Amino acid sequence: MNSTYKKEIWYTLGFSVLLLMCGHSGLIFSAFPGLRDVMILGFPSQYLIPVGMGWIGLMVVVVVQAKLTNQLDDEIEAVNATSTTKGE
Amino acid sequence: MEEQKWVLENPTLGIIFVAASFIIFYFIGWYSARAAKSSTDYWTAGRNIGALANGLGMASSYMSLATFMGVTALILKLKVPFVYMWIQFGLSIPLITLWYGTPLRRMGAFTPAHFVRERYGLSTSYVTVIFMILIMLMYALGQMIGVAKVFEMLFGINYTVALICGGALIVGYVAIGGMYGTSYNAAFQMVLMGVAFIIPLGAIMKAMGGTGWYFPPLLYADMVPAMLEKVPDFFDMKYGFKWYFSLIPCFTIGAMGLPHLGMRIYTSKSLKSARGAMVWFSFFCGIVFSATYTMGFSGVFFQATSGTAIAASDYDKITLILNSVYNAPWVLAFVIAGAIAAGLSTISANLMAIGALISQDIIATIRPNLSDKTMQVIGYSAITGGGIIAILIALNPPTFLVVSILWAFGLAGVTMAPLVIMGVWWKQANRYGASSAALVAGLTYIAVSPYLFPNITIAGGLPAKVGMSGALLCVPLSFLVLTIVSLITNRIPALVARIPHEQDKRLVDSIHGWKEYDDERYNSTSAGIIVAAVSLFFVIWAILPGGWTA
Repeated sequence: MNSTYKKEIWYTLGFSVLLLMCGHSGLIFSAFPGLRDVMILGFPSQYLIPVGMGWIGLMVVVVVQAKLTNQLDDEIEAVNATSTTKGE
Repeated sequence: MEEQKWVLENPTLGIIFVAASFIIFYFIGWYSARAAKSSTDYWTAGRNIGALANGLGMASSYMSLATFMGVTALILKLKVPFVYMWIQFGLSIPLITLWYGTPLRRMGAFTPAHFVRERYGLSTSYVTVIFMILIMLMYALGQMIGVAKVFEMLFGINYTVALICGGALIVGYVAIGGMYGTSYNAAFQMVLMGVAFIIPLGAIMKAMGGTGWYFPPLLYADMVPAMLEKVPDFFDMKYGFKWYFSLIPCFTIGAMGLPHLGMRIYTSKSLKSARGAMVWFSFFCGIVFSATYTMGFSGVFFQATSGTAIAASDYDKITLILNSVYNAPWVLAFVIAGAIAAGLSTISANLMAIGALISQDIIATIRPNLSDKTMQVIGYSAITGGGIIAILIALNPPTFLVVSILWAFGLAGVTMAPLVIMGVWWKQANRYGASSAALVAGLTYIAVSPYLFPNITIAGGLPAKVGMSGALLCVPLSFLVLTIVSLITNRIPALVARIPHEQDKRLVDSIHGWKEYDDERYNSTSAGIIVAAVSLFFVIWAILPGGWTA
C-alpha cells in the first residue's frame, strides 16, 4: 500500500479533528468549568475562545487543509502517471 | 417595564430597495443562465464557477433569513449556548469538502443521492431521495414563511397574498436562472447581506457608545462590563456536556448530509477551485456569523441598558428594531433588502436541490432515454413544482414543520451523511448495510422525536425539539447498522452474488482519483469494526439518562 494513500487517510482524520476542535471548542469549557470566566481581551474565556476559534482558527485550518490536500491530489496524479508508465 | 410592539413606520423606502433588488436578481438569473447549453449545465452551472463566486455562494446558501432574524431572537432567549450552537455551522463546507465533496465532484455527481445510486443502487437511492426532498421542503418552508412575513410587514398586505406573490417571484427567478443564475445571484446576495448586516451594525454600536464600532464582529469588549452588570448570566453555559456534545451529530454531521451544500462543490471549475471556495466560505461565513453574535449581544444590551422592553413576539425583529432606533430610514430599508436576500439565497439552493433530486435522481432513473430538451423542461417543472408545494404548505403550515427546521439537520445527519461518508471511504459498505441504516436509524429518529410519540424521547425540552437528543442516538446508530450489516452480509456469498460488489469497490478507488485499482485501499475490516465499536459506545451513552443540564 503506497504512502500517498496513507497520507490521504491521515490528512482526512487529522483535519477532521482540527476542524471539530475549532467549531466545538466550547466543549472544553463544558468539561472543565474551572477554565471559565477568565477574562481574555475583555471577554470571558468561554465566549471569546469558541467565537475566535470558530472563525479565525477555522480560517487557519482550512487554508492549510486546502494547501495540503491540493498537494495530495498532485501526488495521486504522480502515482497514476508512474503506474501508467510501468503499464506501458 | 411595559413591552412595546414594534411596527414599521415608513415602508416606502423598504419597498423601493426590495423591488430594486428583485430586478437585479432577475437580471442576473436571466443573464447568467444564457451560458447553460444542456440540462447538465443547468444543474451544475457547467461546473464552471470560480473559487470566489462559489465561496460567496456557499456562504450565502447557508446563511438564511435566520441570520437576520432567527439567530438574534434565539440569542435573546438562550444567550450564549445558542452562540455555541451557531459557531459549529462554519464547519459544514470544510468537512463536506474533506470527506466527500471533492470525490463526488470528481465523479461528476449532480446530488449526493446521485452518488448513493451509483454506489448502493436504485432502491437505496430512492429511500435517501425521499428523505432529502422532505428535508429540503422543511428548510425551504421556513424561509418561505419568513420572506412572506417580511413582505406582509413591508407592503401592509395579508399573509396569504404576501406568500403567494413573494413565493411566485422567488420560484420564477430560480427556474429561469438554473444553477448558473442561482450561483451568481447567491454571490451577489452574500455581498448584499454582508454589507447590509455589518455596516449598519457598526453605526448601532457607535450610537450605543461602543468604541470598536469600526469592526463589529469582534470589537465589543468595552460593552461587556455593562452587560455583566445588567445581565450577569449572559455568558453562562447553562447546559451539561451532553447538550454541547450532541451539537456534533445533530448539526455538524447533519449539515454534511444537506444536499444543497454539497451541490455547490459540484459546480466548481476544478478540485483546487472547490478548495479555494471552501477558504472563501470560511472567511465570509465567519465574519457574518460573528457579526450575528454581536447583533444578538447588542439586542440584549439595548434591552438591559435602555430600559426598553421588546415584546417576545418581536425578538426575531431585533435587527430591524435596532436599525430603526439608531439608523436612518434608508439604512433600515437596505437592511430589509439584505434580509430578503438572505432568505432568497437559501430558498434558491433548496429549490435547486429539490429540482435536481426529482428530475435527475427520480425521473432520469425511471426514464433514462429522455432527450436533453425534455430533461430541461422537466427541470423547470420540478423547481416550479417544489416551489408551489412549499407555498401551499406555507399557507397553513403544520406547527411541526415550522418549528422543525433545525430538526431536519439531524434527519440529514442520520439518513444521508453516514451513507455517503462510509460509501466514499469504506469499500465494505454495501447496499444492504446502507438501506438498513437509512431506514432503521431514520425511522428511529422520527420515532424518538417529540412530534410523533411525545412519551418516547431521549431527552425533553429543546434538545428533543431540535433533534439534538435524537441525533445523538441515531447518527451513531446509522453508522453502527451500516457497518454491522455490511460486515455480515459480505460474508454471505448468496447475498454478495446479488449485488455488483466488485463494481461498487472500483467506484471508490476511482472517485479518490486512483486510475489503477488496489483492493487493499479503503478496505480495512478493522476500520469497520472500530467504527462499529465507537458507534455502539455513543448509542449506549445517548440512551443513558442525565448529562443534559449543568
